[in-house]
Amino acid sequence: MAKPLSGIRIADFTVHNAGPFCTHLLSQLGAEVIKVESAMRPDAFRKPHPVYGRMGPATFDQVASTKLSVRLNLKKPEGIALSKRLVAISDIAAESFRPGVVGRLGLGYEALKAVKSDIIMLSVSSSGQVGPDSHFAGYAPLFGAWGGLGEMTGYDDGPPVEMRHVMDHTVGMNAAVAVLAALQRRRATGQGGLVDVSAREVASSLLGEALLLAAAGEEPHRMGNDHQLMAPHGVYPAEGDDRWLSIAVASDTEWQAMAAIIGRAELASDPRFASQAARHANRRELDEILSGWTVTLPADAAAERLQAAGIAAHASWTTPEIAADPHLHARRAIVDVAEPDGKIRAAVGVPMRLSKGAEIGIHRGTPKLGEHEDYVFGELLGMTRAERQALEDSEVIY
Amino acid sequence: MQDVSNFPLTGLRVVARASGAAAAYAARLLGTMGAETILLEPPGGSPLRREPPYIDGSDGVSALFAYLAAGARSSVCDLATEDGRAAATAMLSEADIFIDDTPLGEREALGLDEAAIARRHPDLIHVSLLPFGAFGPKAGWKAEEINLQHASGEGNLLPNGLSVELFPDRPPVKIYGHFAGLQGGIAAALGALAALWARPELGGQFVDIASQDAALAVGAFAIQRLGDGSIEHRVERSFRYGGVLPCADGHVELLTLEQRQWEGLVKLLGEPEWALDPALSDSLERSRQGPAINAKIREWARVRKVEDIVREGQALSVPLAKYYTPAEVVRDPHEKVRGLFQPVAVDGAGVLDLLVSPFHFDGAPLRLRGGPPALGEYGRAAAGLEA
Repeated sequence: MAKPLSGIRIADFTVHNAGPFCTHLLSQLGAEVIKVESAMRPDAFRKPHPVYGRMGPATFDQVASTKLSVRLNLKKPEGIALSKRLVAISDIAAESFRPGVVGRLGLGYEALKAVKSDIIMLSVSSSGQVGPDSHFAGYAPLFGAWGGLGEMTGYDDGPPVEMRHVMDHTVGMNAAVAVLAALQRRRATGQGGLVDVSAREVASSLLGEALLLAAAGEEPHRMGNDHQLMAPHGVYPAEGDDRWLSIAVASDTEWQAMAAIIGRAELASDPRFASQAARHANRRELDEILSGWTVTLPADAAAERLQAAGIAAHASWTTPEIAADPHLHARRAIVDVAEPDGKIRAAVGVPMRLSKGAEIGIHRGTPKLGEHEDYVFGELLGMTRAERQALEDSEVIY
Repeated sequence: MQDVSNFPLTGLRVVARASGAAAAYAARLLGTMGAETILLEPPGGSPLRREPPYIDGSDGVSALFAYLAAGARSSVCDLATEDGRAAATAMLSEADIFIDDTPLGEREALGLDEAAIARRHPDLIHVSLLPFGAFGPKAGWKAEEINLQHASGEGNLLPNGLSVELFPDRPPVKIYGHFAGLQGGIAAALGALAALWARPELGGQFVDIASQDAALAVGAFAIQRLGDGSIEHRVERSFRYGGVLPCADGHVELLTLEQRQWEGLVKLLGEPEWALDPALSDSLERSRQGPAINAKIREWARVRKVEDIVREGQALSVPLAKYYTPAEVVRDPHEKVRGLFQPVAVDGAGVLDLLVSPFHFDGAPLRLRGGPPALGEYGRAAAGLEA
């Protein structure tokens, strides 16, 4: 049995994070993703990243894993011609240049449609392909700012908060959904299409309810860890330095159970806390009381006790704790992958479990630059060794 | 605006039993792309109808439900009764995708467990969406949004930048709204469509989604960096300079990653002497001197208006963005052109602009079929209840 998207081929021209994460998800679901790159502008993971203490190329790159790599110089007309040949044997072409760039390169939707009439083209950009701001360059923190998510996140008495790489990857996961929908339409109608994903709109889509309030004339404001109804609700100190526990109490029953657990059963009927509205009105007082209990316990132990009583709680996990978690391993949400030298490290899996078909997920490490040219240029495109050599000599395959 | 008969998922039918934002969002994504979506609600309605925030001046109309249920139909079905279960079976027999967030322990009694659904509906894509999934040692654990964010990594990593500088001793702060839950919804839509693609070969199947897994997946870089040898922390993950800049009348985000962007920034700042120091033309040196550089940038920004900074900065290709308030997003001329919002009727609150979708197909925005449905407006009689 095959993976669900087996037989689907993607010509992947995406760069940075959002686009590559989209094709990464699709590759884990079985699509054959051919990553088009060049020695002229090496991908970020092929270069050192001193800010994160990586002084050489990454030995494993999550979003490049399971993809095939070919070199193509898009600055040469022959590189564009070869790109089109690749698109002609693909189901999907994905790109994430600034709007207008693929058109100037001669790889716009109309040009691709001319070589593959039912091609599905995915364009991912900061503000979408059309609109007055479409030429703006952007990174995750900018998408978060334009989209409203940054302004709405943060302490109520503090500044807005910068969104980071989760923003890019959310864009990528949305794009993967849209591409599969386009593929579904192709199956039903034979029609390909152009999918335009706007990163700042993805950010906005995560706060649709706040935008609706604004449309109704209100001015919603960031509210830290508070909830509009629930109390206790927040992040509380646990035993140890910089250790925290998240707790959300959703009902009177849960509150009564919690009062007993923290050894303050009398608080269950205390008029200050007896109803949700009363607890919410007195939530700072309540936070103080609860913190007195949480700070005495390891975060995981406290969470287990609360969960056993039916109360939503979870330790605020650090990355090493996540990487080591048995539940996430059992679900293959965290998987072990091997580096070229055999060293094992953690990677993130595709976030789903399917009951049928071959096992999905990462099945190959990071490709070397141009590693799969024999297969792609040789087998798939039927190019001779001499033909390829000539293109290498003229820095088209480069 | 496009014709709904040619939306990507036109012809597909989705039934969703959603008490939380995650499952409702999965259905919303599929519905906005053209699927006919029916919410299977208990008598009294889904708890989502009572979730905050509420629209001011309305009688407790949930803005969250309005956003997540827009365009869907609503059918009331009491699964505690035999008639209700029969009605649900009839509805599922005509569906392609079923999305369900019923807690695991309650499924069997309602006829919603994996085996029962697979037996009755062999071609159905059955998507289970739970905080920690339907399998694994923590499958029975409960989580609200704040717990999900802390179980999946980003919770511990925020705030960063200016916010953590100002409040280093406060607990981490959550991302607004239902960030992690919606990731579960997006992953569920992805899983549903992947399984649907394979249906001709494999038939129906069970798709097990955990919002924790989905939120972790979008936080993949933290795991990447762990393998590269560094552990991210909310204090250290701040950019060395730039980030959130307080201005005279709001906040701006500034992020220069490339050399030419730094050069543009120096021009934007008016080429002050400190910025022309030849040592600062090296990006590593700039990183080392980040806090000092940032102090200068902040001093410059504090007395200027956001609009002026953004206009002049964009002209110099310096990546800058205003921190838009929700009202500014709704009024944004760029989004007007792109049709991000569509007026829909929200019962009890009037006609309001609602976000449609973050993607366009074939050069045009999608279009919602309508606002949130009245409870049980669809198939109430068919569900064995009086209309």
